[in-house]
Amino acid sequence: MKRIAPGTFAAAALAALALTSCSGKKEEPAPAGQAAAPAAAPKPAEPCQLNLFIWSEYMDPEIVKAFEAKHSCKVTIDLYEDNESMIAKLQGGGTSLYDVVVPGNYVIPAMVKLGLLAPLRKENIPNLKNLDDKFVNPPYDKDNQYSAAYQWGTVGIFIRPKKGQKVDETWGLLFDPKMAKQAGAFLLMDSIREMMGSALKYKGYPANTSDPKQLQEIGKLLGDAKKRSQGFEGGVGGKNKVLARAANAAVVYNGDAVKGTKDDPETYYFVPREGGIIWVDNLAIPAKAPHRDVAEKFIDFILDAKIGAQLSDFNQYATPNKASRELVNADDKKNPAIYPSAEMMQKLEFVVDLGDKNRLYDEIWTQVKSR
Amino acid sequence: MTRRIPLPVWLTSLLLYVFLYAPIAVVIVYSFNAARYGGPWRGFTLRWYQSLLDNADKVAAARNTIVLGLASTAVSTLLGTGLGYGLSRYRFPGKRLFAWLMYIPVVIPDIVMAVAMLMFYALARDLLGLFELGMTTMVIAHVTFQIPFVAIVVRSRLVGMDPAIEEAAHDLGATSWQTFRHVTLPQILPAVVAGAMLAFTLSLDDFVVSFFTTGPGATTLPILIYSSVKRGITPDINALSSIIVLVSVVGTVAVALLQRPPRTEGTKT
Amino acid sequence: MGDPAPAARLRPARREIRFGEALTPLQGLARSALTAGPAIGWVTLFLLLPLLGIVLFSVLTRGPYGELQLPFTFGSYSRLAGFGLFGFDPQYPLIILRSVVLAAGTTAVCLLAAFPLAFFIAGLPGRAKGIALTLVVIPFWTNLLIRTYAWQILFAPDALLTRAAVAVGLAEEGMPLYPSAFAVYVGMLCAYLPFLVLPLYTAVEKIDWSIAEAASDLGADGRRVFRHAILPQVMPGMVAGMILVFVPATGQFVIPDLLGGAKTVLIGNAIQQQFGASRDWPFGSAIALVAMALVLLGLWLQTRTAGKRGEEGLL
Repeated sequence: MKRIAPGTFAAAALAALALTSCSGKKEEPAPAGQAAAPAAAPKPAEPCQLNLFIWSEYMDPEIVKAFEAKHSCKVTIDLYEDNESMIAKLQGGGTSLYDVVVPGNYVIPAMVKLGLLAPLRKENIPNLKNLDDKFVNPPYDKDNQYSAAYQWGTVGIFIRPKKGQKVDETWGLLFDPKMAKQAGAFLLMDSIREMMGSALKYKGYPANTSDPKQLQEIGKLLGDAKKRSQGFEGGVGGKNKVLARAANAAVVYNGDAVKGTKDDPETYYFVPREGGIIWVDNLAIPAKAPHRDVAEKFIDFILDAKIGAQLSDFNQYATPNKASRELVNADDKKNPAIYPSAEMMQKLEFVVDLGDKNRLYDEIWTQVKSR
Repeated sequence: MTRRIPLPVWLTSLLLYVFLYAPIAVVIVYSFNAARYGGPWRGFTLRWYQSLLDNADKVAAARNTIVLGLASTAVSTLLGTGLGYGLSRYRFPGKRLFAWLMYIPVVIPDIVMAVAMLMFYALARDLLGLFELGMTTMVIAHVTFQIPFVAIVVRSRLVGMDPAIEEAAHDLGATSWQTFRHVTLPQILPAVVAGAMLAFTLSLDDFVVSFFTTGPGATTLPILIYSSVKRGITPDINALSSIIVLVSVVGTVAVALLQRPPRTEGTKT
Repeated sequence: MGDPAPAARLRPARREIRFGEALTPLQGLARSALTAGPAIGWVTLFLLLPLLGIVLFSVLTRGPYGELQLPFTFGSYSRLAGFGLFGFDPQYPLIILRSVVLAAGTTAVCLLAAFPLAFFIAGLPGRAKGIALTLVVIPFWTNLLIRTYAWQILFAPDALLTRAAVAVGLAEEGMPLYPSAFAVYVGMLCAYLPFLVLPLYTAVEKIDWSIAEAASDLGADGRRVFRHAILPQVMPGMVAGMILVFVPATGQFVIPDLLGGAKTVLIGNAIQQQFGASRDWPFGSAIALVAMALVLLGLWLQTRTAGKRGEEGLL
């Protein structure tokens, strides 16, 4: 024991040095490969760099490589898993570190008010015209001053129906004790606004209500459902548990569900007939982005018709780009799990940041979780 | 002196080792599982290991993690040992208070520490232009929460030590430094190493503080893994973890075998 | 340095003898600065000062967009005490209590496991000791999340362990062994064991067995030998390990979420929720500070009572 210390540290240090020299070489190929690709724009004087801060498995690596080749640029990707971590990072100085971030629709008004985003210079992003009407001048960002829609989707139920069972497509599967047999073992989504919003839609209330009585009712509903459930999970965790047969049904995001159904055709996804939550993720540029021009080129690149379709084919979410929608692969285009019918679209609501009233949701959620 | 270990202790310990390595065994087995989402067994495959080799990001993250771990462990072991020694040997004004305050990095929830350090770095950047987020800021943050762990372990060993030997050394004319180096240090070395191992473990597994204090290009494995896990454990993470375990076990055994056997087995304090 | 003898006669320097060294107060101070100084300086600069910022946050108001605003208010603290928008509800004191109970339970379980392990490793021959000790730590160099997910797999309905439990009648057919309190404690034990084993081992390794032998020669049975000859010797290491398990365990929430179905709120969840989804930093800071204060208070009380009993405190 007494002699280990110097030896172990020395060995480990050597190993670390070895790794350092090895990996150093691996990172060369990217810039070297670009020399062969024809540059659309004149080569920039200094090495071109883009720092992307994005959700994991949301961006097709091929798209990144194509951008790197086209603009002779190096793209660094850092990952985050929820909007609030990203915001906290930006507030702590990240605004001058990252060039492109991907906030959800309901945090954009707050980010604008907090001065975290830079306005988009529309003249540098001609492809903005490709956006579908619903995402041009959206309620959360007038005139697309700060953001351009990236991908959108819904929150619904992912279920493995029993043999020969016709599933009643309602949130009641989770919230109505009488439907327990149909639902089997189920999981709720561990996300305040999505889960509470879905429960509110079940009851026919607005998904962004600030009526304390309605919220208390929902609190009770969720508390009862929690007792019957297998617990709370993130969307992906729920999908994986259903696939692994550790649960029968779960509340998930549609893109994950579609990947799940591809993996196991016995499962399927639906948005219940009462309606549900629709969400939009957007591309935005932090206030002090170090490479603002490149960032705008990147956004323009993503909004290209072919690239947008490639993106949606990769992550199986819906594209907000009307030009891309035509080019998306045929099965996905027809899939109501990705592109809900016009009738269903009427029943979907955006989550809206309620300022001070957010606290109502927070308190009810804590009550639900801690009882 | 090696005592005979009673059978119940043997059995319980063996059982505990099995218990500790059971999840590791699962990870290793699943790194060969062809199922993409961690579901039931779908056939043997080496493709996750293959994809690791092709994935420069993960290798870079692994490298960052190890460099971060070693650097922070080295600094915190040094500082923490000094702290443990100083607290147990000397008296100075405010000692009780400082000793109590040194527990704060142990008590503080990760996210609060992360936010506190983030704000500190932001302020320092505004005022002094220092502390761009990246590897350095992460190392500093890690050292900060590692120090008390090392100090607590070292101090606990010092507290129980018989002072007679140090006193004898001084009586025989040794200077303070000589006494420390040849008498005290060898006796507390197991505690120093134990503290260092704890520190290294803490660093390797840290996500929250690392996420908030890192910068572009300095991503570590825990950050990557955390993101992946939220999306569903990708099997290449299992492959990577298996490699880490294999390297650690082989490395440990190799280092131990390469050592000279301890000189004075029979002498105890 | 001149001739100390005449100076000593003129002005006797007050030297205190500690551990065989005679030091003047100034020398003692210099030594402290050299050894403990750097660490104290580091932690003060990088953590304690920023922590004052957190204290400041806790008395600010949360603006409508999640920003920090004046006026100063104790609203966060009163909300913590239970005065919420829907009336009085002592959920937060309960949350804190629940976390403390979990941490105490984890510490107890870890103690039960750490003792045999520490004695086992200490009893091995020379080189094997190092290997055995490092083998305890190596699993912890795998990410905690991955290990916890692996436990989910080990507890799945058709896993070996689950089927054994069903056979013995401890579990239902077809149901996984999680989410459950049992699964949570298994996960916690797995996560915190080395923090108790390592310090305990450093104490066990230097046990003076001659005392135990003397005790048994004098007629004490096994239990009394352990309690009076061995336990006092390992006490510092044991207490150090208990602190290193209990204190961080109060803030743990990932393992209870993954193996307990995220059905409950612990301190860690509550703080995460406020710094995360709800973006209410003042309230999150308040929860964190109160939780930290309670644990630190406990540590301080332990030192005082230990001091009164003549034992070594932690400070």
